[in-house]
Amino acid sequence: MSQRGYSEDKIWQAVLGEIELSVSRGSFVTWFKNTSLVRRENGSYVVQVQNIFAKNQLESKYSELIRATLEKNGIEGPSLSFRVGNPSKVHKKIEDQPILVKDTKRQVKKSGNVLSHSYRQGLNVKYTFESFIVGGANELAYAACQAIAQDPGNKYNPLFLYGGVGIGKTHLIQAVGNQVLKSNKEARVIYISTEQFVQEFLDAIRYKKNTDFAGYYRGADVLIIDDIQFIAGKEKTQEEFFHTFNALHQANKQIIISSDKPPREIPTLEERLRSRFAWGMSIDMQTPDFETRCAIIQTKASAKGINLGVDVVEYLSQGVRTNIRELEGTLNQLLALCEMRNIDPDLQAAKNLLGGTKNRPKHISPKHVIERTAKFFHISTDDILGPKRDKDIVVPRQVAMYMLRNELHLSFPKIARELGRKDHTTAIHSVEKIEREQSQDDTIKQALSQIREKLYA
Amino acid sequence: MDVQVTQENLNKALANVARVASSRSTLPILNNILVKTEDNRLRLSATNLDIALSQHIGTKVKKEGSLTIPARLFQDFVSNLPKTTIRLVQEDAKLHVTADNYKSTINGMASDEFPVMPSIQKPQKISVPTTYLKKALQQVTFAASSDEARPVLTGVLLNTIDSKLFIAATDSYRLAEKEVVKTDNQTKLLVPVSACQDLLRIIDESEGSVEIEFDRQQVKFTVGDAELVTRQIDGEYPDYKKLIPTKFQNKAAVLKRDLLSVTKIAGLFSRENAGSIVASVDDATKKLTIKSIASQVGDNISEIEGNTNGSGDITLNSRYLIDVLQVLDGDQVEICFNGKLDPIVVRDPKESSYTHIIMPLKS
Repeated sequence: MSQRGYSEDKIWQAVLGEIELSVSRGSFVTWFKNTSLVRRENGSYVVQVQNIFAKNQLESKYSELIRATLEKNGIEGPSLSFRVGNPSKVHKKIEDQPILVKDTKRQVKKSGNVLSHSYRQGLNVKYTFESFIVGGANELAYAACQAIAQDPGNKYNPLFLYGGVGIGKTHLIQAVGNQVLKSNKEARVIYISTEQFVQEFLDAIRYKKNTDFAGYYRGADVLIIDDIQFIAGKEKTQEEFFHTFNALHQANKQIIISSDKPPREIPTLEERLRSRFAWGMSIDMQTPDFETRCAIIQTKASAKGINLGVDVVEYLSQGVRTNIRELEGTLNQLLALCEMRNIDPDLQAAKNLLGGTKNRPKHISPKHVIERTAKFFHISTDDILGPKRDKDIVVPRQVAMYMLRNELHLSFPKIARELGRKDHTTAIHSVEKIEREQSQDDTIKQALSQIREKLYA
Repeated sequence: MDVQVTQENLNKALANVARVASSRSTLPILNNILVKTEDNRLRLSATNLDIALSQHIGTKVKKEGSLTIPARLFQDFVSNLPKTTIRLVQEDAKLHVTADNYKSTINGMASDEFPVMPSIQKPQKISVPTTYLKKALQQVTFAASSDEARPVLTGVLLNTIDSKLFIAATDSYRLAEKEVVKTDNQTKLLVPVSACQDLLRIIDESEGSVEIEFDRQQVKFTVGDAELVTRQIDGEYPDYKKLIPTKFQNKAAVLKRDLLSVTKIAGLFSRENAGSIVASVDDATKKLTIKSIASQVGDNISEIEGNTNGSGDITLNSRYLIDVLQVLDGDQVEICFNGKLDPIVVRDPKESSYTHIIMPLKS
């Protein structure tokens, strides 16, 4: 029989790499995705493909190209055939489940504690609770994280923090890790960014170290995953993460996740993960308010041994409203500038600096929203604004009203006017309808998030 | 290519075929349908790489040819044309369409990039009368699962046992099985439920029978001029036969119409707890009672008179009960069960070929 070996995998990767350059992206994704090369005992090679269409296509259109590329990679005059088969399956077989079941709960095996590589912590020591500045917008998140650090696994599990960029998510979740390590040096704390998780998973598949990989993550006491939104669209990784999640949760180990949007708005996230993320506690970290921003600037400045005037502090926190990272950057810029020119960091210096860099957030007009919505549904703006009441126009119109309400916070009468309606109750009804439907209908939910994405792109 | 077709024929074929052309594919040509002359007929084909559908139409062929054109546009255009003769003339990758006073040119793509339609190698064959197959699929497909975690359950099983063809599907919470027809050919096929739904759409009852051809990996259904090819799902289907109970402690036979309306009403009050309703049989009063409680909304109790046997109650999902009641044929329906955790059978007392099982909910 046939057998897949490491060297075939490597050769096939090289072959695919070359083919990818010579065919169109669409063709490559459609025909070459999830293929693999198998060497038979008699020395002939078999290309395993996903479906009969790919088999036909590769046989009739690409077999010469594949043959030539294989030869280039050191396989001389290969006798080549194609067959439909499952690519290497990473997930477990679950065929042996009972046929009819009474309960949906899936059994998860407790993971063993076989560790093959040591626990790397990936934590930055400078992120501690002490250096985190608490304000109204992040109070809840801060309290939850402190509670978890004292008693990991038993308080809020999983903890899901979400919020915009640069408002301190990473700082907080790393602080939990540092705190846990401080009180218990033996604790196995893993901090990893999602991007790194995906990369390691891919390597594990490639070098057949799957069990090591799974064992490593499943042996954690505290697993901290940053920027989970990047897992969207990566199905196999999601599956692996799902199993890891279950194993840890089952064993009462703490899981902390951060993301830039709530679970329900992460596109192409599997439903089972979505529901699990919302299982423990999800906290929305808001943009810091004015006072918090002032406090942050003051703390940062005095950490550098500089005392800023109140007017400068206030001016800076007025100027940068949403992002603490940016706020810190601006402060650093100001201090550097003043040091260079040997002047005092006063209001004038700050004004000069910010006057040059200040870029207002892109203003989005109601017209823009309507256009985007129309474009998404492939209908014309005139249809949305017009009197037609066909279903495929009414829904986009309602979506447009919803977007105007939720993204631009327009008043209902204003929304009605924008869409050429006389009566603002239509707008109220539409917004309510979409609100209701998005919780039930996945397509609406997807549509909303895609339009939103386009809007802010 | 230079051919003439009637608007009716072309429109009907396009309605079937264009639906299969995927609009969200990474490969642009899959949004197109293949228009090709073949044996003095016109053949329209489309595929989404899960299924391939093609349909032949009678035509007057002046000149052979083939190309692919955008499915949506072509379908919308043809459906808006008057009922007349349409002339299709190909010029490289363009199709000129002329009908009465309408003239248009549709930009297409050359057909050689279009995927080759799969053919069945050394086929085994079985033929099923159209009306029987249609009925069976209607009664069975809805019970199949959509959860890809257990691929076999996303299939519909076509299986011969003792020279009888059975069609069955289950999502592990309910199971439907229909004995379709006597046949001498051996079959064991697991067909994706999505393909079965597409098949249901193209089944035309004026055709006498559906021809099914299959090899180890593919299966082809031929209904009149239409052909649907799909893959078979790989895997062993669970042996469900042993799960079908034959003896019952509790039974109630009532009018189907009554039970359906009562269940729908009860369902309204059970939304917050996953459609859960309680059915009780009482031999003393000869009544079947359906009860649902929603602590937030209120509750509901309805009674139906009928023939009863035994006394007991069971909790089940109203949605599943409604689904099966909607596909049963007779006026009467019988609901039979044993213990609180044993399968419930819902059936037409006069029709033994269709079996439907629902697993109870834990109350």
